Amino acid sequence: MSVIEYKCPNCGSGMVFDSETEMLSCPSCGRKDNIENIPDPLKQQANAEDEAQEYHCTSCGAVILTDPETSATTCSFCGSAVVLGDRLSGKLTPAVVIPFAISKEEAVKAFKKWCRNGLLTPSGFMSADRIKGMTGIYVPFWLYELHNNVEVHGHATKVRIYTSGDYEYTETQHFEIYRKIRLNYLKVPIDASEKMNDELMDKLEPFPYEHLKEFKTPYLAGYIAEKYSYDDKALLPRAKDKIREFIDAYIASTVSGYTSVSYTDKQIDTNAKQADYALFPVWMVQYDFRKKDYTFAMNGQTGKVVGKPPLSKAKVAAWFAGVFGVSFICLKLISWMMGGGFL
Amino acid sequence: MNKRRATWSLLAMMLCLTVMLIGPLQTAKAAGDQPLIYDEAGLLSPEDKEELTIMAKEYGAKRDTDIIIYTSNNPEGQDVQIMTEDFYDEKAPGYDHPLGNAVILTLDFNHRDIYLAGFYKAKEYLDDQRLDKIRNKITPDLSDGEYRLAFEKYIKTVYKYMGYKPGVNPDNILFNIWFQLGGAAVIGIIVVAIMTSRSGGRVTVSGRTYEDKSTSGVLEHQDAYIRTTTTRRKIEKNTSSGSGGGGGTTSGGHSHSGSRGSF
Ligand SMILES: [Zn+2]
Ligand SMILES: [Zn+2]
Repeated sequence: MSVIEYKCPNCGSGMVFDSETEMLSCPSCGRKDNIENIPDPLKQQANAEDEAQEYHCTSCGAVILTDPETSATTCSFCGSAVVLGDRLSGKLTPAVVIPFAISKEEAVKAFKKWCRNGLLTPSGFMSADRIKGMTGIYVPFWLYELHNNVEVHGHATKVRIYTSGDYEYTETQHFEIYRKIRLNYLKVPIDASEKMNDELMDKLEPFPYEHLKEFKTPYLAGYIAEKYSYDDKALLPRAKDKIREFIDAYIASTVSGYTSVSYTDKQIDTNAKQADYALFPVWMVQYDFRKKDYTFAMNGQTGKVVGKPPLSKAKVAAWFAGVFGVSFICLKLISWMMGGGFL
Repeated sequence: MNKRRATWSLLAMMLCLTVMLIGPLQTAKAAGDQPLIYDEAGLLSPEDKEELTIMAKEYGAKRDTDIIIYTSNNPEGQDVQIMTEDFYDEKAPGYDHPLGNAVILTLDFNHRDIYLAGFYKAKEYLDDQRLDKIRNKITPDLSDGEYRLAFEKYIKTVYKYMGYKPGVNPDNILFNIWFQLGGAAVIGIIVVAIMTSRSGGRVTVSGRTYEDKSTSGVLEHQDAYIRTTTTRRKIEKNTSSGSGGGGGTTSGGHSHSGSRGSF
């Protein structure tokens, strides 16, 4: 029995997670259950079964059609929220989850507002009336704890220029610098789903970690959830890559007061202490504009929207013309104030 | 009461009219008759001379200055600066009155010397440095015998330089219209490029977002001074504007700026 559904004990309808109250709620009779108190059926489940098996909806008996990565969805026949237990058990059990805080209606509203604020988007796009689909997805992430031992050697200079008599002197002081730094990063997120665009997911950050909860399946009820496509070892290089620029910025912040700094040797020893499997809430928006499909993603907690909108050539040209005109007048004014003619 | 007011209005109107009529009349008279091109060396065809005169009049009028060209074979072998000064005292050019604002380009074909002098407003706006710049601009063309081209450059550059306040470098890149247009275009492109790249959302996290502040920090820190190196460079002396250098005073007592050279 790997298909999990939450039936309302009062009326028998399927219950779903309610982002407003953070409780499992029944859309029919309004019953609300605290998720912390619900025994998680995953814990009682035996070992995972075969990948190739068929899932049947416990409400209507229809076959549930899913991608192999999907671990929660709704039955395409009766609409019941179903969770595929064996895709969430064993190694596939998420450690933590950030539940949705933005409901579908709020997400639509927030997306429309974002569209209206686009300075370069065509006006037809700004009305945002062509939303084809709004899907709430729990996207799998790995949260890395990365300990870094950093050692840097470098050469720095301080330059002072002064004049004395008929000569201009350039005095350069040379320094040998050394820094030993311990730099630990917690919960660095890397998206682990093959389907999701990495760049898009990176821009969705930050996810508010104060809303991290211990994983319980009822959080998924009513949403789509994916399981990870890559394990934590496979994605470690991406995580190291991501923190590399953080480390470089940190090193630079410890070397200040110099005219120039060049590093002769930079040793970064990264130790992956831990990697937690997490599910983060993302609203995926499918948008149809002038016969082209656009995909946007919205952070299910903060409402931050990312994704490439169409650009209006006319608006880009207008902005360019405006900025060009203003800068030209400014340059003219500067030249005029310095004593140059106005024309 | 009414009558008195009418009288005052009439008086005011007449005053206005007088000013409006006399002002332009005075300036109109000025440019008219006196020649601006004294081509004693005979370098120019009559058409060239006529066209250059029109040009010098037109540009000179905008700067209230007579722009004069004086060429001579100088059989007496006089010094080119003395020639220019005597020329000014004798011909008494000047935009709105004799011995007034004038800039003179003198070519001495005996010594192949060139001299530029600015009087009154032209002295103020065309100091020695600016005259040096003009001379450097036209000397190559004069050496090549491209007299008409050199004279056109001279007239236009005098006009251009007199549009800048005295004391500033007229060749400052900021004053260049192409630089201004180009700069504005670059700013426009940068702003639009930033807007375009931000339209799809941008990364708003930094290292601080995920840094564990309680365990992170600098463990060892060394900044060892090694040595000091010093280089020195001689400062180019910029002789400031005004007297000195190329300028002087005519025997008639008119002081001027100046620049001399050969071609
Ligand atoms: Zn119910
Ligand atoms: Zn069903």
